[in-house]
Amino acid sequence: MKAWLNQHAQALQLVLSRFKNNKLNTTLISLAISVSIALPSVAYVLIDNLRALSSQVRTDSQLSVFLKAEIDDAFVQNIKANLVANNGIKAVQFISKAQALKALLADSNADLAFTALDKNPLPDAFLIEPKQFDNESIEQLKQQISQINGVDEVVVDGAWIKRLNYLLALGNKIMLILASLLAFALVAVIGNTIRMQILTQRDEIELSQLIGATNRFIRRPFLYAGALYGLFGGLLGLILCALVIYLFNQSIVPLAAEYAANFNLHQPTFALSLLICITSVLLGVLSAYLAVSKSLLKSIV
Amino acid sequence: MINFDNVSKRYPGNHEALTNVSFKVNQGEIVYVTGHSGAGKSTLLKLMAAIERPTTGTVLINNQNVSKVKAATLPYIRRQFGMVFQDHKLLYDRNCYQNVALPLMINGITGSDAAKRIRAALDKVGLLNREKSMPISLSGGEQQRLAIARAVVCRPSILIADEPTGNLDRNYAEDIIALFKAFQQVGVTVIIATHDALGNANYANKVLHLNQGQLLLPSTEHGNGRIEVLNIKTSNTEVSYKEVLP
Repeated sequence: MKAWLNQHAQALQLVLSRFKNNKLNTTLISLAISVSIALPSVAYVLIDNLRALSSQVRTDSQLSVFLKAEIDDAFVQNIKANLVANNGIKAVQFISKAQALKALLADSNADLAFTALDKNPLPDAFLIEPKQFDNESIEQLKQQISQINGVDEVVVDGAWIKRLNYLLALGNKIMLILASLLAFALVAVIGNTIRMQILTQRDEIELSQLIGATNRFIRRPFLYAGALYGLFGGLLGLILCALVIYLFNQSIVPLAAEYAANFNLHQPTFALSLLICITSVLLGVLSAYLAVSKSLLKSIV
Repeated sequence: MINFDNVSKRYPGNHEALTNVSFKVNQGEIVYVTGHSGAGKSTLLKLMAAIERPTTGTVLINNQNVSKVKAATLPYIRRQFGMVFQDHKLLYDRNCYQNVALPLMINGITGSDAAKRIRAALDKVGLLNREKSMPISLSGGEQQRLAIARAVVCRPSILIADEPTGNLDRNYAEDIIALFKAFQQVGVTVIIATHDALGNANYANKVLHLNQGQLLLPSTEHGNGRIEVLNIKTSNTEVSYKEVLP
């Protein structure tokens, strides 16, 4: 166990001293990696913010259920019980035709036209607040309610929510594709860097193999180098991401204030930052592994 | 210790470097592998050191069959050897001390134990005061001695040297041979390949003479006397040897 730790410490030390001797190189490579990390991170944080924003709005969104005109009170109570029993519904509010007419008369100037009618033309209605706001649940709920006997029409308030949902899904997809493309770029950058290092250490690798070094011994420092590139790149990428969000906020906060809203983009959470760093390190190790294995296969023994 | 049985080595392109070579090396022996360039000396050494595997035949090293063991085992077999390569293979990006440290690192030896061993090895070859020098600043003979220090730092039981005196003048060459003999004195098996037996006229041991990949004088045991024929440097080496033997 101690020998094993020792070997790892030794490899790490070797890599760190190599980095120290090549500060400029290491910095440039880490910067290249950090850009690959920062771009999808910023995209993710933006989409995440939008999603948070849209879920705030959604709490105001409702379904309006209009009942058929000819049904009586008992039937209405029956429907209400039916709605309350539905577990996709958070709250139900009944608005009778009389109430609706009163409200309409209160905030419209069209009272003359209505009073001219001898009968209230409005239907009874329920306002429903669903529990879940994604497109599928709302669609499903709408289907269920319209099948209830006595229901005339179900209207989803705010079709724009639906559109926003689709846009967010699209944004998510774009972000994922961007992230995977940049992950490839990252593997290529780190892999190529490691390959160059292997070339410069060709002699040492060959000699080590001749005098009894195992493949694992030869691979180890390069894996550490890949991991460290990933780590440095990941951390730098997070700093870049935070900086970008900060700059965005400087413009967004006054803009939101103009709309009398208190809104700013939140920075990536700790869990997200950790995830980004771990991904970056893993990609670094993976690309280093691929690069070394390829060159070990080619070697003399 | 090392046992070759009907070993042949064929390289891609149908070039047969060694043909049906059989011999045995015992512990503590000093063995010379001779023959002109291209006779297969380096191939023989590579097979001995488990750097390459034979095409046919068996190579036994401490009872391990090199042709049969898994590739992952080969590095551990190689660690039993101290290798002095024909082209030294010194690493020019680090100093003498660090060059000698490499085999210890491979064997997982670090810290003060390693430092002690490195200094002992450098001291043995007379380079202790040059430990901070870069190999490029050393003379040919010193580089050769550095390569020997690196080969012995892990205290191998077998020391293999490919042309260790190749491009050294006679005084240096004698120094180097004396060094190898000193290792043999303490029980190390020493195997030296040389095309120039002249510098080693005073040897008293086994000679494996190769000609076009074949062992001409298998396991020739000399007595304790001198080799009388000195004219070994000529192109017709095998003839010179035959004259020595009864």
